[in-house]
Amino acid sequence: MTQLSAQDINVWFGQRHVLKDVNLLFPEREVTALIGPSGCGKSTFIRTLNRMHELIPSAGLGGKVLLDGVDIYEPSVDPVGVRLRVGMVFQKPNPFPTMSIKDNVLSGLKLASRKHADPNGLVETSLRRASMWNEVKDRLGDPALSLSGGQQQRLCIARSLAMDPDVLLMDEPCSALDPGSTRRIEETILELKEEMTIVIVTHNMQQAQRVSSQTAFFLAEDGNPGQVVEFGSTDQVFNQPVDLRTNDYVNGHFG
Amino acid sequence: MAETQPAPIERRSLRAKPFSKADRAFFKSATWAANSSIVLVSLIFIFLMWRSWPAFESQGVDYIFGSTWDNNPENLVMQIGPMLWGSILVSTIGVVLAVPMAISLAYFIVFMANDRFGKIATVMVDLLAALPSVVLGLWGLLIFSPVAAGWAEMIYQGLGFIPIFDNSSGNFLRSPFIAGWVVAVMIVPIIASVTREIFSQLDRDLISASLALGAGRWSTFRRVILPTSGGGIVGGVLLGLGRALGETVAIFFVLNLVFEVNWFNILEDQGGSVASMILAKFGEAGQDEVAGLMAAGVVLFVVTLFVNMIASFIVAKAQPWRK
Amino acid sequence: MEKVAAMPIDPTPVARPKNAEPWKQISLSGIVTIVLASTVPLATGLLAMVLGLRFELALLFVFLPVQLLLGVLAGRRFSGKRGQADAILQIFVIFFAMSVVVLLVSVVWSVVERGSAALSWQFITQNNVYISGQTSLEYGGLGHAIIGTLLIVLLSTIVTVPLGIATAVYLTETTGKTRSTVRTLIQALSGLPSVVAGLFIYAMFIASGLTQYVGWAGSLALIPLMLPTVTRVAEESLLLVPQELRNGALALGSSAWKAFWLVTMPAAKSGLITAVLLGVARIIGETAPLLVTTFAANNTNLNLFDGSIATLPTYLYTFIASNFDTAVQRAWGAAFVILILVAILFIAARVLSRKKTAKKAGKK
Ligand SMILES: Nc1ncnc2c1ncn2[C@@H]1O[C@H](COP(=O)(O)OP(=O)(O)O)[C@@H](O)[C@H]1O
Ligand SMILES: [Mg+2]
Repeated sequence: MTQLSAQDINVWFGQRHVLKDVNLLFPEREVTALIGPSGCGKSTFIRTLNRMHELIPSAGLGGKVLLDGVDIYEPSVDPVGVRLRVGMVFQKPNPFPTMSIKDNVLSGLKLASRKHADPNGLVETSLRRASMWNEVKDRLGDPALSLSGGQQQRLCIARSLAMDPDVLLMDEPCSALDPGSTRRIEETILELKEEMTIVIVTHNMQQAQRVSSQTAFFLAEDGNPGQVVEFGSTDQVFNQPVDLRTNDYVNGHFG
Repeated sequence: MAETQPAPIERRSLRAKPFSKADRAFFKSATWAANSSIVLVSLIFIFLMWRSWPAFESQGVDYIFGSTWDNNPENLVMQIGPMLWGSILVSTIGVVLAVPMAISLAYFIVFMANDRFGKIATVMVDLLAALPSVVLGLWGLLIFSPVAAGWAEMIYQGLGFIPIFDNSSGNFLRSPFIAGWVVAVMIVPIIASVTREIFSQLDRDLISASLALGAGRWSTFRRVILPTSGGGIVGGVLLGLGRALGETVAIFFVLNLVFEVNWFNILEDQGGSVASMILAKFGEAGQDEVAGLMAAGVVLFVVTLFVNMIASFIVAKAQPWRK
Repeated sequence: MEKVAAMPIDPTPVARPKNAEPWKQISLSGIVTIVLASTVPLATGLLAMVLGLRFELALLFVFLPVQLLLGVLAGRRFSGKRGQADAILQIFVIFFAMSVVVLLVSVVWSVVERGSAALSWQFITQNNVYISGQTSLEYGGLGHAIIGTLLIVLLSTIVTVPLGIATAVYLTETTGKTRSTVRTLIQALSGLPSVVAGLFIYAMFIASGLTQYVGWAGSLALIPLMLPTVTRVAEESLLLVPQELRNGALALGSSAWKAFWLVTMPAAKSGLITAVLLGVARIIGETAPLLVTTFAANNTNLNLFDGSIATLPTYLYTFIASNFDTAVQRAWGAAFVILILVAILFIAARVLSRKKTAKKAGKK
């Protein structure tokens, strides 16, 4: 039973107010899509959900992020523990260049100093869940950088899955990929949602409609901090948006 | 603007302390190591100051401005004026000789040579920088000095009526002119590599636009390249100056150290260098005299630290991309 | 809108033209200028020398003026008024750049030529006991100095490398408050006169009577000289590691230490090794700080903690100013050995950094 929610999230970089009063609830085993024009704070927001945000020196935060009812920003909470439960996939594929494919999948265990009874089995299941086992099963020892961009991104997903997170955050995971790889990642997401909560940032309206069950529309109007303009079921946000700006955006009139 | 101010939102502290022991040790040791450089610089200053204090105390201001060094233990007189001025004179000659060579080299590498030549020249600059000063001293003493003395003699014959090129002894070896050349060889790579880096960061489009508009190489250099990179080059020159002021062994072999100020007769076989003087006197110095040499070390340390601080400040300002 | 979309598009790539970087090339007219304008001055210069003018005078007062004159004429012929200024600029640039080449070649060549004449198996293995400046080159050598240099540099390296790399880690991987102070001080240390570093150790340990001239004091004196090089190169190579890799590791639930040890450091490995190599190259020929801390010795001393130790630079130093030919030959031999060591370090560093850039290029 994992529940993630953001309460009154405000973000600053230095003195600049970037996000204002974001309240979102991410129900268990559902996919939530975050959409909005670039620069409105989607990446910034998703990074607050697993405390990657605080790694930026000028970062400031207000509000709470509750994971199973516990505020992850409490001083007593270890950020490392939060990130173990809330995994993240980045916009640009970032496999570890000095490691082989297999070592990349197992890198999380090593980095978090964890043991696993059956590492080889874990490599196989993780790669299968990222639907790339058949492509790489004969070359597990090859350097990760020998893979194509789409494969590298799925390797990064497999790497996160090997840690068995409760929540998976994905920040525009397909923006650097070809349509074929994009489709496979979407399939992976649809399979994964049976097991975990997923939050995905995307610029692709069709993708949001294909994979998510609820959608939040972020917007930052000239110089003002980004805010959630509309939040609801994906169907409602795309087909009967309440806010005019949402309507404009999902129909491609700006952004 | 009519709306009432909302209550300010509370900003939370994000400065998480590392939880695991390993992390705490990691950050702590990095911090310790880094701060040890602060300790190191302070220790250098403190110990040199401590050991040299007796000399400063007994000699007073004359330590800097006087011109006598008498190591008679009964009546020790230690004044480094000629050495200090000599360091400045030799470094100035070195900089004057090195600057055109270094800037030309950098200009050649960045704006004239093709990739292959440019790379070869870059390797050359790095190699020159890696030559130890004792090797350059050997070369300067046995190979270069005789040649440069020949140049000096020719200059004297041609321009000897100008006071700076006068020579009363007829001996053209071991002069500030020659020491300046040796120093120039040492600092060319320093100035050249800073300048090269600054040149290669210039906006290519700006330069090609300037050339496309029909401006020649010269006016592009004067109007576009120099104004944008001038500050950085000055910083590089100051770095070279710092190095020149501190050069010890190489100058020791090619310069006559004389305790009488040679203001500007650069071809005369007498000059000074604080660093070389320390080396020259150290072997035979008694305890009190060593204090005087330590004091010279303090002067050298303060001067070079000052020059280098300014230099690195200027270079850092001229290279914002390095931040 | 429609009109733009209807425009025919030709997607085939066009080969990069030879003059895609016009600012880098010496244009054709420039080449002609230089070819034409360099044969004639050369000939007149040589003629002047044949007629008895000294080389330097022929160069400065015959070759260069003729060169400039012809350059200006040719420049004007090809590109009008601005051609004149350009020709002068290019001639001066090449003249000055060539003088650096000449100086460097002169240094390297004289060391190689004279040094290799002194070199023999016995010279690099034996020590300097019972050898004076007049002793024939068939006796004695600098084996003890090679060992001494290696020992002293090894101890400095053992201390400085962890210190320098940890400092670089502090500068790149943490948000520590004193980062800019540390960076400035490291920069300032890189200009520390080497003799001052020696005096510092002398003041701290020898003048205070804690020890006599001894190997480890020399190693300590080299630390402030090596530290800035190691730190700066290490910092640069850590900065080259993309931030995404660190984030990738941290997002997997890694501690900062593990992320550095397993991800950042392996990615920066060749740069860090380069830092060590360049650091060693920086101190291997240092003379003045060793003269005031370990001094010189004639015997082979393997103990850094007891007595003076000979090193290559101090060996060179003791023979350099002698009036005897054999002594001077020994000095050249020592210079050659130092040069070989520096060259090895230098080439290793270049090979490593080449590999690094090759990898980066391959990734694209
Ligand atoms: N590290 C940072 N430092 C300062 N400002 C930042 C930083 N990262 C993002 N921003 C600013 O925050 C705003 C939101 O950025 P981001 O979250 O990346 O937007 P999105 O992902 O929606 O395109 C932007 O205006 C951006 O300029
Ligand atoms: Mg983004």
